[in-house]
Amino acid sequence: MRRVAAALWFAVHTAGQNFRRNLGVSLAGVFTMGLILFLVGGALLFTHSVNSVLQAQQAKASTIKIYLSDSASLASIANFQTRLQGDPRVLSVTFENKDQAAKEAAKDPDIQQALNALGSNPLPASLNLNVRQLTDLAQFDSVARNTPIVDKTTATDYNPDVIGKLHTVINVIQFVGGIIALILLVISIVIIMNTIRTAVYARRTEIEIMKLVGATDWFVRWPFILEGILGGVLAAVFSGGIVFLGYKLFVQAAERSLLSVPFDASYSFALLVLLVVGGICVGAFGSYLGVRRFLTV
Amino acid sequence: MSLAVAERPPATPSPALRPVISFHGVTKIYPNGSVALRDVNLAVHQSDFCFLVGASGAGKSTLVRLLIREESASTGRIFIDGHEITRMPHRKLPKLRRKFGIVFQDYKLLPTRTVAQNVAFALQVTRPGQRHLREKVEEVLWIVGLEDKLDKYPDELSGGEQQRVAIARALVHRPRIFIADEPTGNLDPDTSWGIVQLLLQINHRGTTVLMATHNREVVDLVRRRVIAIEDGRIIRDEAQGSYLREGEATI
Repeated sequence: MRRVAAALWFAVHTAGQNFRRNLGVSLAGVFTMGLILFLVGGALLFTHSVNSVLQAQQAKASTIKIYLSDSASLASIANFQTRLQGDPRVLSVTFENKDQAAKEAAKDPDIQQALNALGSNPLPASLNLNVRQLTDLAQFDSVARNTPIVDKTTATDYNPDVIGKLHTVINVIQFVGGIIALILLVISIVIIMNTIRTAVYARRTEIEIMKLVGATDWFVRWPFILEGILGGVLAAVFSGGIVFLGYKLFVQAAERSLLSVPFDASYSFALLVLLVVGGICVGAFGSYLGVRRFLTV
Repeated sequence: MSLAVAERPPATPSPALRPVISFHGVTKIYPNGSVALRDVNLAVHQSDFCFLVGASGAGKSTLVRLLIREESASTGRIFIDGHEITRMPHRKLPKLRRKFGIVFQDYKLLPTRTVAQNVAFALQVTRPGQRHLREKVEEVLWIVGLEDKLDKYPDELSGGEQQRVAIARALVHRPRIFIADEPTGNLDPDTSWGIVQLLLQINHRGTTVLMATHNREVVDLVRRRVIAIEDGRIIRDEAQGSYLREGEATI
């Protein structure tokens, strides 16, 4: 117990001492790691914000109205509705009769006037479909066109142009976000490994002596790994703070420009935890790799 | 006690007769193809004092590196204290190295630590939680004659004093075998003689000492066992030898 405590104290003490004695190299490492964590955090948060805005749009876009012909019997409509509800791609189906359709449409004053002028209700009843995936809309459109009770002139309100574009935008953003994150990850590993290797190289005599007098590999490693963890946590806290602040300012700026970007507090917290865990892992793993080459003898 | 060239050890050597160090047909070929040692047979017993002499590149340093397993022998077997170290797994090396105390020509002191801290470092990293650390450090610094320089930093000391600190660090864990690789290489003759006196004193306390050196005067004055290496082979092993063989002009 006494030995373990002494070994632990030695590791913590040495890590702290080394960090202070080589403050220049240590801070360079923290700065590099912090910069990369900042970029990763920023990229993740940006992608998340854009995604949540687009997802709100997608939720609106993933509904389709199937217009029913006025001659369709209630039984056949109910039959069709049950069939659609049984489809695993469908989230929900609601029936909207002609009166409801008129009420909904009358929210627009121009249409209200037109309806008043007509005196009768030309709007068809519809089945409003909510599907899981945007891409399935086209298939439901064609299903509707081949169903006899569906209005032949205007089968659905499906607009492949808008939906296709929205879908492309989401895909591009996710793809670009993924590529950027991947590039940052590779760069960060290379830079961090080299920074830590420089720090370890400055202490090669110490490692050599430790090996010569018979210190075990783990005894040599622990101070460096703790130092890496310390650097990682510092980097994560600083970069996380800056990302969080930037996110807040971005949301406020977006509000002023009437673009509604939701402030996601739980995602921000999860991101901060992710950055700290990432900083600890990268710092510890980078130190482990950095020391390894000096432990081969 | 010293044998000129080791015989094959008896089947069950008694601990008293068993050599502390023994080499059996050891050859070392480096990855680049250069042969550093060829079929070396050697036995060193407890309390022996041996000089290892030979030109630069003759194989002295390789022999030292094989002893502490910084390098592995290509063929042949090496025993320390009766344990074969040639095939020893990596994780057992720290324990092996604690049997040795080693000093080098360039001292290898940590410049940011004081004399006492440099010596204590060796105990802290091998025996964390060691009791009476300060007393042990002071005692060993008294042995090397630096009891009044405890709180100095290495760059405040002369070369000879720095080498004494290195010797103290190598002694503090009471090694069985003391290896000095060119310990006087950077020192003037008077200081060198002081260091050799210290090594003899360490040997007098029962520690086996192996000193690789170029210092002809020292070897000829001390008149102890001399193992001469040339081109990777042991060409001479004399119980009370000199730096050169009688009548030999160069080595």
